[in-house]
Amino acid sequence: MFRRVAVRLVTETGRVKNAALIQRLTDPSASARSFSEVKEAEQPPFDESLLELLVCPLSKKPLRYEAETNELVNEELGIAYPIIDGIPNMIPQDARLLQKDAGASTSPTLG
Amino acid sequence: MAASMRALLRRAIRSSHRNVGIAAAGAAGPSGCCRPPTTCRCSSDVAGDRSTHFGYETVPESEKAKKVYKVFENVAQKYDTMNDAMSLGIHRLWKDMLLHAMHPQPGVQLLDVAGGTGDIAFRFLEYVRARRERRAALSTQTLLWRHVTDDYAAAGGEAGPPESRAVVCDINKEMLRVGKRKADGAGIGAGLSWVAGDAEELPFGDDQFDVYTIAFGIRNVTRIDQALQEALRVLKPGGRFMCLEFSKVTNPVLSRLYDEYSFKVIPVLGEVIAGDWKSYQYLVESIRKFPDQEEFHHLIEDAGFCCVKHQNFTGGVVALHSGFKLWGARRTSGLPALMPA
Repeated sequence: MFRRVAVRLVTETGRVKNAALIQRLTDPSASARSFSEVKEAEQPPFDESLLELLVCPLSKKPLRYEAETNELVNEELGIAYPIIDGIPNMIPQDARLLQKDAGASTSPTLG
Repeated sequence: MAASMRALLRRAIRSSHRNVGIAAAGAAGPSGCCRPPTTCRCSSDVAGDRSTHFGYETVPESEKAKKVYKVFENVAQKYDTMNDAMSLGIHRLWKDMLLHAMHPQPGVQLLDVAGGTGDIAFRFLEYVRARRERRAALSTQTLLWRHVTDDYAAAGGEAGPPESRAVVCDINKEMLRVGKRKADGAGIGAGLSWVAGDAEELPFGDDQFDVYTIAFGIRNVTRIDQALQEALRVLKPGGRFMCLEFSKVTNPVLSRLYDEYSFKVIPVLGEVIAGDWKSYQYLVESIRKFPDQEEFHHLIEDAGFCCVKHQNFTGGVVALHSGFKLWGARRTSGLPALMPA
């Protein structure tokens, strides 16, 4: 059930209106209910509206939200910032280097 | 139980002897020597590593951030309780006064750095909500076209008046977790966001926020000048920088009482309530090492803020510094605004 919600969040990114945003923002009760049904690895949904504000602290360029790994990716520098408990971790030392080949993501962290 | 209390008392007596000596020496220092305005730290290039202060200890700059992180990781769970105990609840008044000085209107975007458990952000959202309700109540009495069109726009699903938003940024994930739990418990979700980030390298674009606040956090930053530069960067032109921080008490009698209280009572409270003597020892020492009102005022001006002001609360125990960003990024580079970037 959580996967459906996450997929819907990602696909709606391009055509989100303010009203929908506010509705989602004021819907913590829904995520709290589904949280109990959810597997231990799942996290509260990431707030897409933050993407408008957040940039990579190193290059100050915009980031891409990767729903599968629940990370914010900077393609240019090839690093990804994790999102833990719905809180994006934008500390450069905690970012993860991305491998060159597609899909693989088993590099040690920076720093 | 009795043995641990005895050990506690012995430590209190030993450290108070040591600290009153240091505090006295420290108090004599600023009046005598002239410290350079840009640093309150000694830069010794040992193996190219600049050193700074961690309380009364001298540590390499690279170490300070880690040590500060550990301190706040340890105290996060009991942070709010300790604040109430140490300041006898007065910290709530200081934060309320910060909000009153800010006087935000609905639609303002706030960035609260070192916001930790979210005190300022909660107050901000509450203040703005109260203002909105008051405006709504007034508008039912005197209906202005502006309000009518706003209501229609909001009802029609278009972008109505911009919603206020508070972003809490803190380097310490534990403090953020405590804050988020508090927010979820109080049912505050709308317009509140949490981000783990470094004040010296903010993960936000240029010209984003209307107000930048940092309450009781800037003395823990390793490079204050860098944090001020970042604050200038992320503020919109016309945006306001506001900093609430412990500062120097000018009155000698009050100063003596304050020192006694800080070094004798606070670490003991820290041990009893939070089980952590050393963190609260660091806290009171870091207050003494932070620049005084005038010096910090100059630091803020050096960073590029205008109309810098400061005011004391509680006789100088806490000071509120405020400055404005007047010019956008292009101006500060010296190029005239008409030239392409």
